[in-house]
Amino acid sequence: MNKRYLLTICFSLISIWFIPMLAQEKSIQIYGKITDQNGVPVSGATFSIAGKTTGVISDNKGVYYLKTNLTGSQKINVSFIGYKTYTETISLEEAKSYELDIVLEKGYNLSEVMIIGKNKIQEIEALAYNVDVIDATKLKNSTLDVAHALDRASGIRMRESGGVGSRMSLSMNGFRGNQVKIFIDGIPMDNFGSAFQLNNIPINLAERIEIYKGVVPVGLGADALGGAINIVTNTYEKDRLDLSYSYGSFNTHRTNVEMTKIFKNDIVVNINAFQNYSDNDYKVNVDVADVNTGAYSRNQEVRRFHDQYHNETFIGNLGVINKPYADRLLFGITLGQVYNEIQTAQRLVRVFGQRHSKSNIIMPTLKYQKKDLFVKGFDASINANYNLGKEQVIDTVNRRYDWYGNYKELGNGNPGGEQSFTYSKFQNNNGLVNASFDYKIDEYQKLSLSNVFTSFDRKQENLLDPEENNYNQPRKSFKNVLGLGYQIEQKDWSATVFVKNYNQVNNFIQSYRESGSNDLIEIERHNRINNFGGGIAGTYFIEDNIQLKASYEKSYRLPTGNELFGDGNITLEGNTNLKPESSHNYNFGIAYSFMLRYDHRFRIDGTLFYRDAKDFIRPGFNTHQVLQTMENLKDVTNLGGELQINYTYKNLLAGVNLTYENLRNNTKYVKGTESLVYRDRIPNIPYFYGNGNLTYNFSNIMNTGNQLSLGYNLLYVHAFYLFWPSYGTANTKHGIPEQWSHDFTATYMMDHFSFTLEIRNILDKNLYDNFSLQKPGRSFTGKIRYTF
Amino acid sequence: MTMKQVKSYFLILLFSATIFSCSDDDTPINTDKDSGENPEDPSEVESRYIVAATPNALEGVADYLLALESLNSGEISLVGNGVEQDGTYRYYIKNNNKFFSLLYGQGNPGAVTTYQLNATGKLDMISDFQAETVQSFTNMDDEILMTKISRNSTNPFASWYRLDTKTSQLIGEGQINTQEIIDNDELAFFTWMTQVGDRVYAPFMSVKACCNDSFGTNYPDQAWIAVYSYPEMELQTIIEDDRTSFIGRYFTSGLGVVESGDIYAFSSSVATNNGEANSIKPSAITRIKAGEEVFDDSYFFNLEEASNGYYMTQQTYIGNGAFLLNMSPVATKGAYTTGKRLAIVNVYDKSLIWVEGLPAESAIKNITGQNNYVEDDIVHIGVTTEAGSYIYQIDATNAKATKGIEVQGGTITAISKLEIEN
Repeated sequence: MNKRYLLTICFSLISIWFIPMLAQEKSIQIYGKITDQNGVPVSGATFSIAGKTTGVISDNKGVYYLKTNLTGSQKINVSFIGYKTYTETISLEEAKSYELDIVLEKGYNLSEVMIIGKNKIQEIEALAYNVDVIDATKLKNSTLDVAHALDRASGIRMRESGGVGSRMSLSMNGFRGNQVKIFIDGIPMDNFGSAFQLNNIPINLAERIEIYKGVVPVGLGADALGGAINIVTNTYEKDRLDLSYSYGSFNTHRTNVEMTKIFKNDIVVNINAFQNYSDNDYKVNVDVADVNTGAYSRNQEVRRFHDQYHNETFIGNLGVINKPYADRLLFGITLGQVYNEIQTAQRLVRVFGQRHSKSNIIMPTLKYQKKDLFVKGFDASINANYNLGKEQVIDTVNRRYDWYGNYKELGNGNPGGEQSFTYSKFQNNNGLVNASFDYKIDEYQKLSLSNVFTSFDRKQENLLDPEENNYNQPRKSFKNVLGLGYQIEQKDWSATVFVKNYNQVNNFIQSYRESGSNDLIEIERHNRINNFGGGIAGTYFIEDNIQLKASYEKSYRLPTGNELFGDGNITLEGNTNLKPESSHNYNFGIAYSFMLRYDHRFRIDGTLFYRDAKDFIRPGFNTHQVLQTMENLKDVTNLGGELQINYTYKNLLAGVNLTYENLRNNTKYVKGTESLVYRDRIPNIPYFYGNGNLTYNFSNIMNTGNQLSLGYNLLYVHAFYLFWPSYGTANTKHGIPEQWSHDFTATYMMDHFSFTLEIRNILDKNLYDNFSLQKPGRSFTGKIRYTF
Repeated sequence: MTMKQVKSYFLILLFSATIFSCSDDDTPINTDKDSGENPEDPSEVESRYIVAATPNALEGVADYLLALESLNSGEISLVGNGVEQDGTYRYYIKNNNKFFSLLYGQGNPGAVTTYQLNATGKLDMISDFQAETVQSFTNMDDEILMTKISRNSTNPFASWYRLDTKTSQLIGEGQINTQEIIDNDELAFFTWMTQVGDRVYAPFMSVKACCNDSFGTNYPDQAWIAVYSYPEMELQTIIEDDRTSFIGRYFTSGLGVVESGDIYAFSSSVATNNGEANSIKPSAITRIKAGEEVFDDSYFFNLEEASNGYYMTQQTYIGNGAFLLNMSPVATKGAYTTGKRLAIVNVYDKSLIWVEGLPAESAIKNITGQNNYVEDDIVHIGVTTEAGSYIYQIDATNAKATKGIEVQGGTITAISKLEIEN
């Protein structure tokens, strides 16, 4: 793609929105101090102008500062948990400053207000589940995608094979890949194909990310073995524009446009569009094989030359809000495409120069929400979508490449591929209907019912051999997960119990031509899975600032379409005999927050967890060892813990999280013989890792009201072995060494603009998530964001 | 300190203690741990047996190479012992006193790693280089001929590579159109290649190479051997026979050249169509006399008759006409089965004697078929039962098996022997 062309578009887009805004700089400033009746500063109090949603929060000294364009008589509100809301009407004139000190009176029972006064994030964290929430609003000025934002959370490791858009897999408390379900606004994302995935969704799309570990609420109705991640997108129900563009090392461009417009009659239009582009031409250290002799030149520093990735995605919604029949009714479409060059095989030494993949997503969606439907207390939410997207793998150039980009033609002009001669296309036709209903029995009790139905209808096409298509009969899978839950909330405790039913029907037709005849014979195969799971969770506040949590779930994960039917014989052969994976998940957690010397705030979260999983679905080779096929392999236990400490002092925020996972092989007998690695540590999974972060905010830089924020992030992953730890002579073992990575971010925020500079991997270390697959070195990125 | 502060410090301590009091038992940092291989003075023995084993585990598996002084007794564990290779699905061949380990890698490069014994009797990796994932490899004097064979009718070419074992480098390559070898609508798929004199004998099966049944065939009752010149790899002739199904089978050698130069051809009779066995020919041994380019019509050894209902799956040549055969009941015929009952067959007098002293057929979980080691009428084979993995010595003269060394924690996949390099 033409870089200059792209830049021009982005800048012109941004400038179109800017120019009218620049003319408006005649704002009014209101500032002052908020104290209680004893004169003690109240920090965290909200100061706002009635009817406007933009408010400010008082700092640790109780000081607030608000800029506005509103003039004339305005009603102001000041509120904080445990205090009566203060209201006053003041008169404002253009370009003037007002100093207004406010005294708040104590009021209400504190423990009641605790519940009422919580923001959405605190509300979720107060649930009985083992849940973490990432506040994405704080990351919007960064250039992170959702996957990299998750990588900074406790208990989560995101492992990628390279740069932007590379293959990635997420692990949560030792569960990997499909075992962890990803949702967007409560809708399972596993059917979205590669064109709309965590590694290409910018963090700007999200409002917050909820991470449920081990035990998953009924509302997120799906078969998650080890937990679920729910990306909650922005649902601004007011006019809004958010534009951002970033440019960085390795020719990486990212653009994000988000717009909401509300018309008369409560018609709403919402558009989200984003783009990622990168050449990913970072340097790697590799043994370079000669294309003729195969001999290696050791440890050469070479640049990646065939690793371009770009995706473009558009999400549009049109509908109505605040109608008697619907709080929200939106019709939408998600359109997207990905182009991905494949630089290497599973080891860096094997290099490709032409192999690539393409995919797209065309997905109409429907979203419906209504509170108090028919009767008070009965809330309904229904979502539906259908994905017509296609995936393609193209390997049709018969060459062998070396790492310098040199190649030799193979096969004297005969067809062939670099890895295997492939040009295939397939389409999964995934449909989804998700309905959830909540009924509040009374103030304290709630019933929830949720049902998710998904369908899968594989169509595949071998573009090299159209004849082959006669044998690629439709393969279908239908999955239904039904959940029923009951929740009770009391003053200082709450509890929930739930049951889930997992149901799956798989049909596929195998066809072949009988000896000596041209008739196609079809054999229809079926299998059916029906399982019940369930769980219980409870929480108790010993004091307002000490919370205990305990939860348990017997969880199941049903095999996916790809696992059952393969990926069109590119790397994976189907196995229609797969059983679901299952696990007993236990969590116990304590959260404790306290203050030292009035202004040093601490919050400590500790979690112990235990997983006892059976029939893990893992790849093995098929009979010819040509393709991989998924099998129900092993049993695993995992006893581990997580610790998070957060500290704030004035404008300083610091946090540390550490995770330890003791994943042990629980398969005693393999093919009838006792395994010597029974209870050995599961190889090739990071088991001790953590993050540290430090942010300092300079508010009101040189009295301009602008803010500068400096941030530092540290990632640590302990060394781990690629193969079973106990086997083999120590000096011959393969593994991934200890990893330390340092990132730095600086953001300067003005009225509607923010400017960010990011440096990742400051020390330019060789980083690896997967054996031999080196990740990018030091990179610089600049980002500009405009919001209105 | 206030009560609240004390409590908070206490809580921090408590968390840290409970969560991080874990031992760091398996940090991948190399310690100078002794490899634990036979500790005797290496100068007394000038060679080592090389045993390849794959762990008894699911996923995360690499194969290990052990260098052992004797295979006749004792025990060795994979825990803490053996050279760890980069992954599993490895195949081995010895040439020029070097041990070559070939990776069969889906998505990985077909890497070849070369090992040699150092003066202390330990395996040193002396080289590795990039090759292709191949389905046939064979010694051609000082070279190894490796062939990658197409199973896909859209791309009907087999690629061959010549590996120089002195330099561990590829020195030549070429392609064979496998559509043009047989005059039918299917592809030729070489089961294996064998050096006969200065030529390459490549038996093949006919495969559909399409239609969700890549390895199925509509021509199950025919045997073919393509004969190539070397190193040019030009097709000289095709030797055919309709008394058996194809010679050898996928990834398996079906030819044995005896001292006189006569070639014996082994057919398992495991052709299939849509997963169903479809050959009407019995598993049998046929012969091509030295210097001739036709099957010897006068020689036919019906193994199913001689064994009373068994077919052969793999063969190992011992000498003087004696072969060790892996055998399996005809009733449970499979194209990829490794026979768990062993027989000594003499092709000269068409005799068949069952080997005694092995665990019962039903007790055997795994047994080596191709990578056995033969020395002085003794064949070393690897056998895994519920009780563990052992190397057995089979005496070809009396068909008696004796239990040797136990390899703990792994299934034996190959046995070989190298001389110590000084």
